[in-house]
Amino acid sequence: MSDHLLFGKFDLYWANFIGLIVLTAIEVAAVGLDFSETITLFILVGIAIPKFIMIAAIFMHLWGDKDSKILTLTALFPAFFIVIMVLFIGLTHPEASIGLPEWCRPGYYKL
Amino acid sequence: MSDGYHDNEHEHHASAWGPHDWSHGAPHNSWSPIIMSIGIGIFLYTVASVYSWGEMVDSSSIALVLIGMMITFFGLLIWWRQDASFDGVYEPKATGTPFQNIEIRKVAMWVFLMSEMMVFTSLFSTYMRYRFGIDSCQEVYESGSWIVNSQNVDTGEAVNCFLPASELIASSWFHIAPGAINTFALIVSSFTIVQALRWAKKPVGSVDEEVRRKRVYRYLGSTWVLAIIFLTLKMVEWFIGFYIPAIGPFHEHDIMSLVEEGYTIHADHYHPHHGWDDVHLAELAALHPEDYQAYLAAVGPNYEPTNAVMLADIRVSSSTFFVTTGTHGAHVFIGIIGLTYMTWKAWTGGYTPQNAVSIEYFGLYWHFVDLIWVLVFPFFYLY
Repeated sequence: MSDHLLFGKFDLYWANFIGLIVLTAIEVAAVGLDFSETITLFILVGIAIPKFIMIAAIFMHLWGDKDSKILTLTALFPAFFIVIMVLFIGLTHPEASIGLPEWCRPGYYKL
Repeated sequence: MSDGYHDNEHEHHASAWGPHDWSHGAPHNSWSPIIMSIGIGIFLYTVASVYSWGEMVDSSSIALVLIGMMITFFGLLIWWRQDASFDGVYEPKATGTPFQNIEIRKVAMWVFLMSEMMVFTSLFSTYMRYRFGIDSCQEVYESGSWIVNSQNVDTGEAVNCFLPASELIASSWFHIAPGAINTFALIVSSFTIVQALRWAKKPVGSVDEEVRRKRVYRYLGSTWVLAIIFLTLKMVEWFIGFYIPAIGPFHEHDIMSLVEEGYTIHADHYHPHHGWDDVHLAELAALHPEDYQAYLAAVGPNYEPTNAVMLADIRVSSSTFFVTTGTHGAHVFIGIIGLTYMTWKAWTGGYTPQNAVSIEYFGLYWHFVDLIWVLVFPFFYLY
């Protein structure tokens, strides 16, 4: 893996490193350019996903190594629980807090 | 019992306390997990009785807290004695499905990282829940409802709303600079550590050993420096702030830290240094007719701005920010401890192709820290 070349020419680690730097620069610039909130969120998600994959696949060797398949499955195993957490905690309906007992509503500080 | 394996097993007398003898087949049983579980159980149970909501309520159990910690440490010592590769070279392989013939430490590191992913997912879920579940302070301010409810500095009544840290951090290029530099620092450090691994792994004879030593310790040392820069800038951003001199187009001014701005976990009476007053709101509403109608509907057509300033309780938003970024920072700190040892070891020429996997396994942890930052930075600092 460590001596793989991209397109037969470029060192994979260098290419990945430069790609990450460029994507981060775009990310920061996008926020500085004052797009609407929706477009900004779209850009940030659109950049975070490939950055995440680039680090996991190339720097963490999930792509191209002999154990890649089983280790990738291991890495994906918590995805099920992550989806549950995000869907049922992170993205519950905004009004849901009104229906919760008082002690677990936002703003309850009588600890 | 005539085959070699069982003969060896017979002579080996495997003990659940002693080190594994890897030349005699699969690792034997161990008491270590049970001992550590008991120790952690005693520790957590007694800590819960000593502290209640951050205050010490019963000091009589402190001795039991320490006993719990000692038992846990004892279990760790047994584990270390059993599984550590004391010659620094031997790499035991997993024997069970589905990880057969994969290095045990590599599998363990991945499983550990996935448990870490769950920790950060819970933090992200909490953040999303509150971010989307509580009205943003800007929306509350522009609705004018705080005027009707008299939630202002003069009355001392605060409105509960969500103020993402990005409102302060992404307010100018200078404010965003520490976080942005940290992002680049972590990416560069991910690159330097794979380069250290690459040089450590080069086959003996393909590279001069002195060149290998220098390259490995310089790359690891660079990673260490970048990690220190990360935490230093984190302190600047949280607590210290920085000074901008009058150079070129910039006028002389101070960039305040988050704490100096009042963005703390205790901020139940927060108001920004500029803004959130009803005079500004009236001007803003007049510029946007559609917002103006909503504003009038809330405050009434005869309301005259009095220079009242909205007061906000932002403890939920600041807590989610500091807990998440602080947990990430703690991981960076742990990485620095590991990097300190590894850099020293590399400086003494301790890394060879045979034991370079240590850098690989630490690298997995370090890349994971970078990976989490890839998510923390846009969603806590920029959005």
